[in-house]
Amino acid sequence: MFLNRLKSQIGNLLLLSIGFYFLINSVVLLELGTARRMGPGYFPMLVGAIMCVLAIVTIVKDLKHPVERDAPDFLSVASVIGGVVAFAFVAPLLGVLPAVFLSVLATSSAVSSIPWKTRFLLAVLASIGIWAVFVGGLQLPLETIRGF
Amino acid sequence: MDLLNNLIFGFETAATPYNLTYCFVGVFLGTFIGVLPGVGPLAAVAMLLPVSFYLPPETALVMLAGVYYGSEYGGSIASILLNIPGTPSASVTCLDGYPMARQGRAGVALFTTAIASFVGGIFGVVVMTFLSPVLAEFALLFGPSEYFSVMVLGLIAASVVSSSGAIRGVMMVCLGILLGAIGVDINSGDVRFAAGIQELRDGVNLVVVAMGLFGISEVIFSARGNIKSYATEKISMKKFFPTPSEWLRSIAPALRGSVIGSFFGTLPGTGQTVASFVSYAVEKRMSPNKEQFGKGAIEGIVVPESANNAAAQTAFIPTLTLAIPGSATMALMLGALMVHGINPGPRLIVEYPELFWGLIVSFLFGNFFLLILNIPLIGLWVRLLRVPHYFLYPTVIVLICVGVFSINNSILDIWVTLGFGLVGYILRLYRYEPAPLLIGFVLGPMMEEFFRRAMLLSRGDPFVFFERPGSASLLVIAMILLLWALVPRGVIRILIKYLIPNSNSSKRF
Repeated sequence: MFLNRLKSQIGNLLLLSIGFYFLINSVVLLELGTARRMGPGYFPMLVGAIMCVLAIVTIVKDLKHPVERDAPDFLSVASVIGGVVAFAFVAPLLGVLPAVFLSVLATSSAVSSIPWKTRFLLAVLASIGIWAVFVGGLQLPLETIRGF
Repeated sequence: MDLLNNLIFGFETAATPYNLTYCFVGVFLGTFIGVLPGVGPLAAVAMLLPVSFYLPPETALVMLAGVYYGSEYGGSIASILLNIPGTPSASVTCLDGYPMARQGRAGVALFTTAIASFVGGIFGVVVMTFLSPVLAEFALLFGPSEYFSVMVLGLIAASVVSSSGAIRGVMMVCLGILLGAIGVDINSGDVRFAAGIQELRDGVNLVVVAMGLFGISEVIFSARGNIKSYATEKISMKKFFPTPSEWLRSIAPALRGSVIGSFFGTLPGTGQTVASFVSYAVEKRMSPNKEQFGKGAIEGIVVPESANNAAAQTAFIPTLTLAIPGSATMALMLGALMVHGINPGPRLIVEYPELFWGLIVSFLFGNFFLLILNIPLIGLWVRLLRVPHYFLYPTVIVLICVGVFSINNSILDIWVTLGFGLVGYILRLYRYEPAPLLIGFVLGPMMEEFFRRAMLLSRGDPFVFFERPGSASLLVIAMILLLWALVPRGVIRILIKYLIPNSNSSKRF
């Protein structure tokens, strides 16, 4: 019961804690100044305070009348994280194009019904397309394949 | 003829082969994005932002703007053929467009929407040509307190219409402002909220925020949604032209739609979707053939399409003259300008005439290109709808990664983007719409600057915002908007429910 209630408030609590972080940070670490000559912390303090108040109001409101929320789709989350992580690790090691290739393979695992042939084809096409647009067309200084 | 001179000046900028090419690329991509349900103009503009950094500012804006209004043309194609709106603002077009397609008149419907979109677009450009200089001149009278108040109004308007409700919208705006405050404070030189990370001293990059919130989280949301391709039935393209009586019946609705669309496009926070809904509702009351609405009345597609295209053009008025973006996409346009060192605001038209007038003339070219793309080449877009949807999402992810990476060759940026994507996903699960966040992020630093200046001038008296008549009236309007949204639980949403009982288009507002 308590766990369920907590779960339904994760979004609100996330925002409350972010607002609180900024509020405390501006009060403790930054100079506030006066209303006439504001320091760097004054405006963020005000905004952070507004955010905390609204977050608390929302929590109270949502506890009374729960809002419907979507269930997270973990397969989708995992495959997108996998795609981005693959790119972030492979790009500095092997270059951008191998990273694109692996990233497409990883992301496409979100839909299990795609045949492997199609996945490889898509990965090859995406690599060629990225090369054509970013390197061929826009001539950005990207390291396409390490060592070349 | 001052205006004529300006337009000729703009023509010289817009008509270079270089700018024409990018204008065409923009509207082509826009139509492409608009046709495909799932990826909207916001994500597309976000993905093109890093590319635009390598272009001259006027070319960058011509291309990004092309994507934006081009998607309004494309959005109606899926509405008519599949009863699924390609963009949120094309959802009204489903009401009469889909019945027309069922009656075997898809060709007529597609032809009519292209013409109506063209009329609306051109009308919006004309309104923009006349209204922007006037508004900019008026805004030159603004002091810091008026600027602060007009920004408050813009942000409140954006949060009020967000589907998640006004309080949640305002929280998203606050979060955006706080994220925008990360980095060195210009006045004191102190580093704020960087948590000791060297790279955060310059602040969080707009591209990183936009791609994470709208690119990555959108892909997570939709990657497993539509697995099947949209197998469209064979449509007969032979009958393309509306009957003469339908032509006649469409003229007045097209003009009414354009007027209503231009009005709502100019207001911050409303934009194309509200414009198309309101114009449809008005037309339904005024039209002599009310009973045909919803059963394939030609007015039912002419009105919303002319309205949303007019609104897409006039949305540039507050963005370029007041620096108040009405929507998250417009906030990205502002961001693109700022990256090039151009400060948007009432001085923009005077200081960068080639950019402003060039952009206006490029709208005219763009609308002509769109007419060509959408009438003779309609078959291409119809075929695009048959491509399986799952090809799209991995491609979007790698485009995001390469785009973010190309800004600074920084892997950290990719991690931060992923972080924003996950936060955006969680927020969406809990019914927080991230669009107002982006507007807060772009406006935040300017807002703080004007707030500090106004308070300095008033010697620390916060009532200065209520003492100056201009600022006071803007704040009162903002207050009324907020109260109006809080008390009757969003009249706009009721309106949507009333018009389309079984659609979830209000979710994407």
